[in-house]
Amino acid sequence: MLEIRNVYKAFGNNQVLNGVDLKVNKGDIIVILGPSGSGKTTFLRTINFLEKADKGTIDFDDIHTELQSASHKTINKIRKKTAFVFQNYNLFANKTALENVTEGLIVARKVPKEEAIKRAKDALDKVGLSERYDYYPSQLSGGQQQRVGIARAIAVNPDVLLFDEPTSALDPELIGEVLSVMKKLAKEGATMIVVTHEMSFAQEVASRVVFMDGGVVVEEGTAKQIFTAPKEKRTEQFLRRIVRDYDYVI
Amino acid sequence: MTINTAFMIQTFLDVLAGIPVTLELTFITLLVSFPIAFFMALQKLEKKKFSGKIVSGYVSFIRGTPVVLQILFLYSLLPTILNYFIKEVLNLDVDIFALNPIIYAFVVFSLNTIAVLTEVFRSALLTVEHGQLEAALAIGLNKRQAYARIIIPQAVVFALPNLCNATINLMKSTSLAFMMTVKDITAIAKVNAAYGYNYIEAYLVISVLYIILCTVVQFGYGAVERYFSLYKRISTN
Repeated sequence: MLEIRNVYKAFGNNQVLNGVDLKVNKGDIIVILGPSGSGKTTFLRTINFLEKADKGTIDFDDIHTELQSASHKTINKIRKKTAFVFQNYNLFANKTALENVTEGLIVARKVPKEEAIKRAKDALDKVGLSERYDYYPSQLSGGQQQRVGIARAIAVNPDVLLFDEPTSALDPELIGEVLSVMKKLAKEGATMIVVTHEMSFAQEVASRVVFMDGGVVVEEGTAKQIFTAPKEKRTEQFLRRIVRDYDYVI
Repeated sequence: MTINTAFMIQTFLDVLAGIPVTLELTFITLLVSFPIAFFMALQKLEKKKFSGKIVSGYVSFIRGTPVVLQILFLYSLLPTILNYFIKEVLNLDVDIFALNPIIYAFVVFSLNTIAVLTEVFRSALLTVEHGQLEAALAIGLNKRQAYARIIIPQAVVFALPNLCNATINLMKSTSLAFMMTVKDITAIAKVNAAYGYNYIEAYLVISVLYIILCTVVQFGYGAVERYFSLYKRISTN
C-alpha cells in the first residue's frame, strides 16, 4: 500500500537520514524505535511532507512521486490519505475540540457540515471525550488534548495514521489513557506508523518493529524478534538501556 | 500672564473642523498600510527569501529615520521629482504643485505605518506556534486556508494591543501634517494662536482634544480585543 524508498535528508551539515526504506501493508502497526537523533521523527515527517526530503521516492496506492520534487497537488493528495498525531498535540487553540476535528472534514474534504459534525462526534466518542465537545484546548488536560489530536486524525478515515511520540509530552499518569486509545485503534485494524519510546506498546501491538540509528534502518522484524533476539549489536545496546527488565525478557 | 478663556473656547470650536482631517489621515493611512504590511510581514517571516531581506531593509530604514526628516525630504523632493517626471517624461500638462498637500501626508504616514505594522504583524504571527500550521497542513488544509482559519484569527488577538499602540502613535504623529500645510487640528490651532501669540492656550486646547481622541481609540480597541479573545477568556474562568 505504501512504500517509501531511499530517503535522504540533511539539516545544514547534519545528515539526518541516510537512505531509509519502509514498506507498509494495510493493517500494519509499525513501531519505529531508536535513540534520539536517529532520524525517526524526521523520517515520519517526510512521509506527509512536513519535512521535505532531499532525495527519495514514495509509492502510495496509485501515487508515485519523488519526495524532493512532489507537486503541491500530489503533496495535498498524500496528506489527505494520511493523518498525523503530534508530540505536543498542536491543537488549534482558537477552535473547540469538536471544531478541531471537523476542520479537516469541512474545509479540506468538503464534507457537508452535518455529516462532519456527526463523524467528529463519533471520533471524539471513540477516544472517550463525549463530554468535552465544546471545550477549548486550553481547558483540557494533556492526555485529553492528545486524544482530541487522535480524534482529529481518525475522523478523516486516513489510510495511514502517523504518530510522532504521542505520549512523550505527557505526565506519566496520563500516558495510559492515550496508549489505550491507540491500542483500541490497532485492534480495529487501523494502519499505523508509530514513533515512540513506549516499549510496552511496541511489545504488545506492533506487527513490525523498525530500529533506526544514525539515519538508517539498522534492523527490522517482529516485536518478538527485536526484543528477544536482536541480530544487531546496536539494537541490543539500545534495548538494554531502555528496557529495564530487558535481561528478564531474554 | 492670564489665560485667555474666550480665545480657548473660540479655538476649540475652530479646531473641531480639523478633527475629520486628523481622523482621515489616521484611518485612511491604516487602511492602506494594513494589507501591504501584512504581506510584508509574511515575506519577512520566510527568511530565506530575497523579498524578506528587502522588507527588512525597508523597515530598518524607516525606523532609523525621524518622521520629521521623512516629511522634510518627501515634501521638498517628491513634488519636484514628480513634476519633472510628468512634464519631461510623460509630457502631460498636469500641475503637480496644485495637488492637495494631504496626498503627501498620506504617502509619508503610510510609508511609516507600513514599517511599524510589518513588525506588529510579524511578531503576532510568531506567537502562534508553528506546530498549529503544520497540523493544519497535515489535515489537508492548504497554506492559505491554514493562515485564514487558524493562524490569523489567533495572531489578531496578540496583535491588537500593539495595533492600538500603533494607531495612537499614528494619530499623534499626524499633527506633523501642518508641516505639509495640511489643515489638521494642530495646523488650525497654530494659525489661531499666531494672531495674538496665544500659543499656550491653543496648545492646551489641542492637548485635551488629542487625549480625548486617543482615549476613544483605546476604548474601541479594548472592545474589539474582548470580542476576539473569546476563546482565551473562557479558559481563564
